[in-house]
Amino acid sequence: MLSINRPTPTTVLYTVSTRSPTDTWPSRFSSYLLIFVRILAGLFAISLAWSEYVLQLGIRAIGRSLATTEPGRFIPTPILLHFQAQHALLRLAIIVAIFYFSTQKFYQEESLLVLRGLGVQTTTQSSNYLSRGSSAMRFIPTSSIQDIFIHEAFKGFEVRFYLAIVVEGEAELRVVFPNILPRREMLETVWRGTRACLYEPTKSPQG
Amino acid sequence: MPYNIAMISDFFYPQPGGVESHIYQLGTKLIDRGHRVIVITHAYTLSDGHPPRSGIRYLANRGFKVYHLPHWVVFRSTTFPTVFSSFPLLRYIFIRERIQIVHAHGSLSNLGHEGLLHGATMGLRSVFTDHSLFGFSDAGSILTNKLLKFSLSDVGHVICVSHTCKENTTLRASLNPLSVSVIPNAVVASNFRPLQPGEASEITTIKNDTLPPPPDPSRPLNPGDPITIVVISRLFYNKGTDLLISALPLLLNRHENLRFIIAGSGPKAIDLEQMLDSLPQNLVLTPTGQSRVRLMGSIRHEEVRRVMIRGHLLLSTSLTEAFGTVLVEAASCGLMVVATRVGGVPEVLPSNMTVLVLPEVEDVVRGVTEAVGMLTGSSDPTSANAGRMRKVRRDRFHEQVKIMYSWADIARRTERVYDLVTNNPSAPDNTVDDEEWDGYGVEAAAQVQSFALIDRLKRYFGCGIWAGKLFVIVVVVDYLIYCWLELWYPRDKIDICKEWPRVMNVEEDVWGINAKLDEHESGNQHAVNDHLEREVTVTQRRWDRKGSLAPADAAG
Repeated sequence: MLSINRPTPTTVLYTVSTRSPTDTWPSRFSSYLLIFVRILAGLFAISLAWSEYVLQLGIRAIGRSLATTEPGRFIPTPILLHFQAQHALLRLAIIVAIFYFSTQKFYQEESLLVLRGLGVQTTTQSSNYLSRGSSAMRFIPTSSIQDIFIHEAFKGFEVRFYLAIVVEGEAELRVVFPNILPRREMLETVWRGTRACLYEPTKSPQG
Repeated sequence: MPYNIAMISDFFYPQPGGVESHIYQLGTKLIDRGHRVIVITHAYTLSDGHPPRSGIRYLANRGFKVYHLPHWVVFRSTTFPTVFSSFPLLRYIFIRERIQIVHAHGSLSNLGHEGLLHGATMGLRSVFTDHSLFGFSDAGSILTNKLLKFSLSDVGHVICVSHTCKENTTLRASLNPLSVSVIPNAVVASNFRPLQPGEASEITTIKNDTLPPPPDPSRPLNPGDPITIVVISRLFYNKGTDLLISALPLLLNRHENLRFIIAGSGPKAIDLEQMLDSLPQNLVLTPTGQSRVRLMGSIRHEEVRRVMIRGHLLLSTSLTEAFGTVLVEAASCGLMVVATRVGGVPEVLPSNMTVLVLPEVEDVVRGVTEAVGMLTGSSDPTSANAGRMRKVRRDRFHEQVKIMYSWADIARRTERVYDLVTNNPSAPDNTVDDEEWDGYGVEAAAQVQSFALIDRLKRYFGCGIWAGKLFVIVVVVDYLIYCWLELWYPRDKIDICKEWPRVMNVEEDVWGINAKLDEHESGNQHAVNDHLEREVTVTQRRWDRKGSLAPADAAG
């Protein structure tokens, strides 16, 4: 899904997302439902973690008190403690997994921001709500953009179209939307718009 | 109607060779006729000794697209003979390019056979071109022939480069002879012109070697004038180098005016040099002390003409030859040809340009003597052809060859084969008036036009007692893979490629395509720049057909 945001005539933001569109009532309802479920799941994970913490404290306290009072009588106690700790690890892993999935986006979003006279910025958003910092962002000034074009490449068992920017002084191309690799029509829209926005709109690209 | 054609072969540029240039020339001429042609080959790495090629490239600027498939297992420059491994990619390419006809080249190309099999599974029409002759007796040939039988069971039509090749292929693959056509190779006659007036002065020497100056083809030779014989051949056993080695001393001894230029390299080069070293000095040196036999080593294909125009005569001693392109090239350069009567050689050139000999030493010597006699006009009384002396006009060879062999003609004939396998009427400028050819091959083509799985299985089952069952299993597995691929990579998720803007003259516009284009596009005609590999970025800029960059368009 491609969304185009054009705040001023010289600025365009193209965002490509794999999220299903929420323009109908059922889809909107289901997306709200999903958010609600996620919040519930997140709270559930947090409360589980808390209870586990309390439980562990309790077991430790009991074990310590038993061990100090009568050392000879509770021989299986260390084994029991060990057993408890192992299961605690497993439980902890489950809790972390639930929490992770409740904050996961389940869709990818990549964008291209075009500013006339300045340059373009490509962004790949992180796939998690909490890890904002790891999203890959790259600004390329107009002066170092040599070309922007659509080409095809092999990817796995597929042949995909991609939009790429040739950056001056770099051996490798900068692929726009590298993970989603949207379909050709979408790329053409972005390509036309980007060229129109980057360069003077009066000039035709055909040499 | 215009077709979307996929040429599949393991052999394509940057690797040089006959099949490679055949595919390229045929492809460009088919594009000229309004078809869309893509080439599917494997990727070349730097270690193959060629410039590396991978991914998707465009040749020239008319949308001649080449897919260099990444290959997983490599041995030298052939892909490992797998049966199914390239199916997913081939299917993807066939769908995105809307391929209608799969055209495989070369019986040793594993990728080509795979393409035929998968194409048939996908219900595409297929054509196969065989470029080589094979034996029947040794183990390698038997295996190759079985493989050929398998992959040609389902092929719509087979093209061979000569009648000998047709006979060979028909027997090897047990084909119906009516489903085999003969379409020869061609040469780019403009690349093999004889010596032009005024060109002699500006010819530079090759590899700093002082070759004899190019003779003027229109000037008749007198008896005793030096005659240069050119040999251009890879020095292998099957190219008849042993025959050459045996015949050379006899020829040097018999005719004092003969000079030899031998271009090519190979394992037999050492034998050739040893033979020359062992000869007495008065045989290998002219009275002025120059060497009478010059070994050039291997030369590039572009240099062939510059070597050829220095000679009067081309000698070919090959023991097996499906077509013999070098003979046509030599005749186009205005050389008389002496060739062994093997394979498709007798079909290639008319008798006034050639002297055919048996692959025996005495007969090679006789043939060269006869050709020398024809060139110099001195009739040999022992020769059977004493009557037709003085009739060799080397300066006319080029025009004759130009009429006989042109790639545009080859493309037209290939197009008729495509019409046949797709059951379409031929283009108005491409029909044969001769009644004899009405309905040629239609019956044979009809036999393989059912793509129902059970009919295909029946055809494969007939291949042999054990092989038939094995082939049936392979086909069934291929079909299952196809079903799985349809689910896993659904068709509607595959982007269709845009067509390259068609550029053609109005006279050539057979299908009325230009009429359909709007003014904007017909204004988009750019200079047709042949034989140039353009930068990807340059082609890409022109890639978009409309190219309209109005902001309103971008907002939509």
